[in-house]
This record gives sequence, structure tokens and C-alpha cells, in this order.
Amino acid sequence: MNLHDRLLAIASALDNQPHLHKLGALFDECVLIEAGEDSVYVFFHRGRVEKLVEGPSSRTPWRFALRTDPDALNRFWQQVPEPGFHDIFGLVKIGRAKIEGDVLALVKNLRFFKEFLALGRDGQA
Amino acid sequence: MMSIEPIIGRYLNCELDGLRQRIYFEEAGAGRPVLCLHTAGADSRQWRHILNDEKLAQSHHFIAFDMPWHGKSLPPEGWERCEYLLTTDAYIETVLAVIKGLGLEQPILAGCSMGGRIALQLALRHPGAFSGFIAIEASDFQPAWYDIDWFHRPDAHGGEMGAALVSANIAPQGPSRDRWWTQWMFMQSGPGVFRGDLSFYTRDDSLVGRLGEIDAHSTPIHLLVGDYDLTCTPADAKRTSDAIPGATCAVMKGIGHFPMSENPALFRQHFVEALGRMTRR
Repeated sequence: MNLHDRLLAIASALDNQPHLHKLGALFDECVLIEAGEDSVYVFFHRGRVEKLVEGPSSRTPWRFALRTDPDALNRFWQQVPEPGFHDIFGLVKIGRAKIEGDVLALVKNLRFFKEFLALGRDGQA
Repeated sequence: MMSIEPIIGRYLNCELDGLRQRIYFEEAGAGRPVLCLHTAGADSRQWRHILNDEKLAQSHHFIAFDMPWHGKSLPPEGWERCEYLLTTDAYIETVLAVIKGLGLEQPILAGCSMGGRIALQLALRHPGAFSGFIAIEASDFQPAWYDIDWFHRPDAHGGEMGAALVSANIAPQGPSRDRWWTQWMFMQSGPGVFRGDLSFYTRDDSLVGRLGEIDAHSTPIHLLVGDYDLTCTPADAKRTSDAIPGATCAVMKGIGHFPMSENPALFRQHFVEALGRMTRR
């Protein structure tokens, strides 16, 4: 499954998570997720994904970006990820990802964004 | 089914650095005293599983207290105009005051994260006051990989942001309820408290270069570290242990930065092993 399809499945799973609709109620932002050559702009609105736009695009503004590689993301999405691959900041710490842009916007919505991404773990999405 | 836990909670009133403090402590069991220190941004509830352990309580007197500003311990009078910033000296004074106030005779000191750091500081500065040290997720120094000012802002909930950040240090293998209860304590911390703790934890490097002066041959020191801890990694703990003559270190697989809270059953095995190493010398 490529990055876009995986995020599409996660976005669909998000529709069934009412607690995340509350947690993400104020998070109206575009987030760039990049895995190697693949990139997807994820537009969040009121705790749901409004749309996904495949990149690259030099004309799409984003609030923050998670830049990683396909292998790291696959290991992140294992049901029980290895140490370092269990969290986006873990990926950063072990040198497998970078978080760029408005990091404070991420931190203010950190639980929402982490739980959103974790919906991609095996058995969750 | 209803039940009442054996833990008893009381308050110690004392003066620290000229300020009156009302310090909440919990205790359980009888036998060799073990003083338990919580992590930054949390409170003594992290230790409740050990305090409620009937078998361990047959031979140990466990005590856990909330640092001033934490849990049920109030901040000192005038807190509303203060910036809370924990320091090594204030932390040491607090631990020693609790020992004196409760009349504990050479307890084992078991501390996690910033509690583990202060255990190492006390092993250096006041080794005679203790009969052993269990330093959990502890190292000589950990600079921040985040901005501690994130956790005290007028436009966001510092506790919720802190909890979301420290979840990076929780292993996925732990029971879901325990992982979330661990985060709940961070969400409940008072405004600026997590930040003030992190100021001590991420800025005070006074232990760097001094680990060799600690003598674990005289007073045992055992380090425990979880392999999912991103903040104090196994490499950090081993580096610290290797620099302390006589210290030992064990890596706990499937555990993160909050062992006694995030995975109580798994941590118990390692903690029992650590207590067994605290032989009087």
C-alpha cells in the first residue's frame, strides 16, 4: 500500500473515532507527510481529514511536515513497533525522521496527531 | 467487589529553604525502609503498585511522597507570584527533610527519572544517609530534545501537551489502562510544574565528570533502564553505570521511562531483583 492509500485508510478510520473529533476540533491545518519520494498533504478540519493531496507541490502551504522514509513508516505502523519506531519523536531521535515547520502547532495538537497516525498500526485501520 | 488498599496517606509539615511546606506522603508495609521518588511532572501515585504489593510489604516499609507543588503537596505560600524552578540543592534538601521528618533509618532510595538523577546526586553528596540506591531511568545528564517552555503557556494546556510528549517514552507493550493512567498524572500537574522540574532535569549538569567519586562498593547502586526510553536511553544509563565504581545496570525490555507506572507487573520483576542487590555493607 502506498503512502496515499495508507493515509486514506487512516483518514477513514478517523471517522470512527469521536474522541479524536473533539481533540482535533481546533486543528484546521495542512500537514505534509513525506516518505522518501512519496509525499501527501493532509488537510485536517474539525478533527477529521477533509482531503488528501498527493505531492510534490511547491504551491501548497503546510503548517508542519513529517519527513521520513518508507521503511521507517512501515516499522512505525507495526502493531508493536521496535524502540524508536514507536513514536514520531522516536523516529527523530534515532535519525529516521525530521519534523519541520511550526513544531509548536504540532505540540499543541500532539495527542490528536499521534493518535491519528497510530490508526495506521496493524489491526487499527 | 469492594476493597480498601493498605496504603496510608498523611502529611508532613516542615520548613524548606525558609518556606513552610505541607508534604503529602504515602506508606505501606513493615521492615527495611524504601523511599520512592516520582518522576518530573507527576506524583507518588506512580509507585502505588509497589506500595500495594503485599508480598514485598512483608519485609519492606515503602514510603512515597509528592514533591512540593506536586500531587497533594501544596506549593508554598506566595506561589502565585513565583516561577517554579527545581534545583539540585532544593531537591536534596527536600529528600533529606522527609527522611528526618519521618524518622527513616538509612532507607534505600528508589527514584525514577529526575528522582533517579537526585538519587545519584545523593549517592555522591550524602551516601551515609542511605543503605542503597535504585536509580531508574537515570543518568548524569540529559539535555532537552524539546523546548521546556512549551509546557507553560497561556494559550495551551501544559499538562496535556506534556502528557502527549512523554507518551513518546512509554513502551507500547504495557497495558493500555496503565499507559493512559501514567499520562493522566502529567495532565493533572499544576501550571508550570513540569517545566520547572525539567529545568532541573535538563539544565543541571553538576553531576557530569563526578560519577567516579561515587562509591557503589560501599553503598550499592543499581540502575534500571527501559529499552523504549527515548529520554534516558539504555546507552545513557550504561554510560552512567560504567562511570560509577561498583555500580550495576540492567536493561528492562518492553518498558519505557515510567516503569513502575506504565507496566507494573513487568517492572516488579526488575525491582525485586534490584532490592536483592541492596545488601548492607
